[in-house]
Amino acid sequence: MLFLSFGLLAALLGYVRWEAPPRADLRYANSSGIHTLDPARMSWNQDLRIAMNIWEGLTTYDPETATPTNGAAYFPPRISDDGLTYTFTIREDARWSNGDPVTAVDFLRGWRRCMEPGTATDYTFLFSDHISGVAEYVRWRRDGTALLTALKQLREGLTLDEQDAKRVLLHLQQIDHASVRRNGHPSDKITGAIDAQYLLSMNIDWASVHESAFETHVSEFDERFAAVGISAPQTNTLVVELTRPCAYFLDLTAFPTFSPIHETIELLRSGSSDSPITEEGLVVYDAQWTKPDYDRCGYPGLITNGPYCLSEWRFKRHARLKVNPYFHDADSIACRSVEMVVYEDLNAAIMAYEAGDLDFLPAMDVPYDHEIARLARNGDRPDFHLCVLLATYFFNFNCISEKVNGKPNPFLDARVRKAFALATDKAALVEQVLKRGDRVAHSFVPPSAIPGYEPPQGLKYNPEEARRLLATAGYSGGAGLPPIELLHTPRDQWVCQAMARIWQSELGVTVNLAGKETKTFGEDKANHRFMIARGNWYADYNDPTTFLDCLSTGNGNNDSGYSSLAYDTLLVQASQTHDPSERMKLLQEAEAIIVQNDLPILPILHYTSPIAIKENIEGLSPNPRMLFPFKHVRVVR
Amino acid sequence: MMPMLVRRLFWGAVTIACIYTLTFLMVITVPGNPFRQSERNMPPEAERALRVRYNMDDNWSYFVEFLSGAVRGDFGPSFTYSDWTCNQIISEAFPISAMIGLLAILIAIVIGVPTGVIAATKRDTAWDFGALALVLVGISLPTFVTGTFLLILFAVHLQWAPIGGWGTLAHLPLPALTLSLPFTAYIARLTRVGMLDVMGSDFIRTARAKGCDERTIVWKHAFKIAFLPVLSYLGPATAQAMTGSFVVEKVFGVPGLGQHFVNAALNLDPGLIMSTVLVFSALLVAMNVAVDVLYAWADPRITAAV
Repeated sequence: MLFLSFGLLAALLGYVRWEAPPRADLRYANSSGIHTLDPARMSWNQDLRIAMNIWEGLTTYDPETATPTNGAAYFPPRISDDGLTYTFTIREDARWSNGDPVTAVDFLRGWRRCMEPGTATDYTFLFSDHISGVAEYVRWRRDGTALLTALKQLREGLTLDEQDAKRVLLHLQQIDHASVRRNGHPSDKITGAIDAQYLLSMNIDWASVHESAFETHVSEFDERFAAVGISAPQTNTLVVELTRPCAYFLDLTAFPTFSPIHETIELLRSGSSDSPITEEGLVVYDAQWTKPDYDRCGYPGLITNGPYCLSEWRFKRHARLKVNPYFHDADSIACRSVEMVVYEDLNAAIMAYEAGDLDFLPAMDVPYDHEIARLARNGDRPDFHLCVLLATYFFNFNCISEKVNGKPNPFLDARVRKAFALATDKAALVEQVLKRGDRVAHSFVPPSAIPGYEPPQGLKYNPEEARRLLATAGYSGGAGLPPIELLHTPRDQWVCQAMARIWQSELGVTVNLAGKETKTFGEDKANHRFMIARGNWYADYNDPTTFLDCLSTGNGNNDSGYSSLAYDTLLVQASQTHDPSERMKLLQEAEAIIVQNDLPILPILHYTSPIAIKENIEGLSPNPRMLFPFKHVRVVR
Repeated sequence: MMPMLVRRLFWGAVTIACIYTLTFLMVITVPGNPFRQSERNMPPEAERALRVRYNMDDNWSYFVEFLSGAVRGDFGPSFTYSDWTCNQIISEAFPISAMIGLLAILIAIVIGVPTGVIAATKRDTAWDFGALALVLVGISLPTFVTGTFLLILFAVHLQWAPIGGWGTLAHLPLPALTLSLPFTAYIARLTRVGMLDVMGSDFIRTARAKGCDERTIVWKHAFKIAFLPVLSYLGPATAQAMTGSFVVEKVFGVPGLGQHFVNAALNLDPGLIMSTVLVFSALLVAMNVAVDVLYAWADPRITAAV
């Protein structure tokens, strides 16, 4: 047994590489691994951080102000007088990491991927909300893939849900299928309940129906995309037509979702080589395309166009970046290599930082973060900094469900919501419970953060008014209210316990804490299975709408289920207003509805997040969006 | 011996199949949505596309597809880390955990067995009490305490070892030592109990009467029998140590397999949950079979019994 173990151990020692690579110029830590390096699919901060350094959009962010500046295109682009047409000219010296010139077609490819249902990106709306024709194209593609998937399932004798069954029946009517004519389907079949069994009993050759639908869809595939307002009249010119003037469009084009993609990705497209889509109608690529050393089908490994390229990526261990030798500014980059090291335990990362193994900690959310924040605030540690983030921590009131867990939901009444908001002593939560130095929030959009926009005052702490409102709503002194369920994750337990105590003593209500594990919490929250649920929102771009859109009727992130005609109308009016200051005024009016009258959410704080940068590192600075472009970094050793 | 091996392997396969089925049932019934990546809600179309892509549209077909893939040694993609397959993740992490685990077991044997023997032969002396104290500490102190203590002592103060991470030989000893402590303690205790039991038996008295010297009695006659319970413990212990410990890996920042057990469950990553469970159970079954074989070899009476 002993010998066996020794033998195995020796074999393993041979298997793992032991030589320590030379230390990178800049080493920083992440508490969890990278989720994905596909720029279309990412939404985690640590993923975006790498993406912003290995890809370069048409614009990039200024490291200090986080406003858009020079990118792969000359800045600023030509903008038509009506603010609807942007003409970008791509730099002559923009190069991919293999030396190929970056073209407008590369941007078209990258952007089109984000509109594809098969990419499964969270950010399709950034395109469909702003660029003309995208919403129509996306709808056509979604319907098309849903139909093809359903037909494929029927072909294989599998069942469908009712919605898909209807979709198929409609399709059969549209193409005037023989069976439909023969059976003379009354249209009430469409409105009535139908299921896959009914379809399967129709004795149809589903393979041929699928095939013809597939061919029709493929034949229109590029034609439909041509109607989208993005075109490349010349190899270095990209013209974008917007649906409405968009003050922050150049901010969007710096976001990694808007990255170009090198043509070699096409080598890894799934499905047959002569059709662009799979049998389900999806455009899907081998998910391994983001690996620097992947070489199936002649794929050369990930090619990017940013200041850095990915030289090594080991799962949950580290990622290494080196300067892209073909980058237009390559020679002026002082920091030649960067290493991201994964520390599951941030305490260990902080120890390694103190020992000099790490130069930069972009996140320090440890149980003693209030101590770190104190050191940074007092200037006791000049290498600790506070990022005042463009992000809000709030609570959702359920504005839609009649009942929650069988109990009547009192928060359908705006007066009750307002009473709970007025009774919340936010300053106590921020200063005595969390002590991190966050800013107390009275609005959804953080104040003095977005140029040209100042959020409304919101509601101040006023327990008397709260009790009065609760009484007018029929719950005098909390009588008649069911026990209030407060849904949260384990990380929020201190704040939630404090809030429960505050509400109990101020309003006389009983508050039950429902702490759930993150994934379950997320599902319950999205499906409105709560009375009050913790929420948070980080800005995607530098405009109030990144926050305010979340509460519009039917928005996918409207967890409170809030719906107000007045609010929706103001948002639509703002989107159609050309005058920027008028637009901001309308948005402010809209925000006043949610933070002063209707209170679908209860804003608590705007995050402040401590980071650590060694004093010999120049060119990294705290900013509200936690953007850290490494190309400006200079290490003084 | 051969029929026994075949029988053992057959029941091993049955065990793994049961574990797979139970894990699968738990994965699909647990509340929460595996496709939810962050707190942002995913567009329903995007989720649908992912379900099609990961074969999760239909539970039964996923059950069959995953099993047939697993039999061929292909565990499919991770849901949470969509750029990686479970095979890549496991082959990246398992050698590291296996190395630390094997070293830990070796340390545990090398320290635990002599400690147990000494404690038994010098019963009720300071040696015995010292060994018992060691056992008590090893069993009752959780590894996150001992690990953090060793880390602060050797890495922060003495600077003999790096602070966590992985990549050089210097990263190996501290986690291995931490991981070995509970095993050492348990082995020492098993050895002590076994030795005490055997030392009182008739054949030892006979050997003494024949004039054997004490060393031969302890190591040649008594130890061979007393080691058998340790041997049967070593099977599952080795499997457990080799698949990594979440706590030790977290304390030392080791990118091993143990963290994936816990994180896969927290992230609700069906592919990764099932593949890590399958790897662990296969290893456990293999180790138990290996122990049975060694047992039969060490004590011929057992072959007849099983």
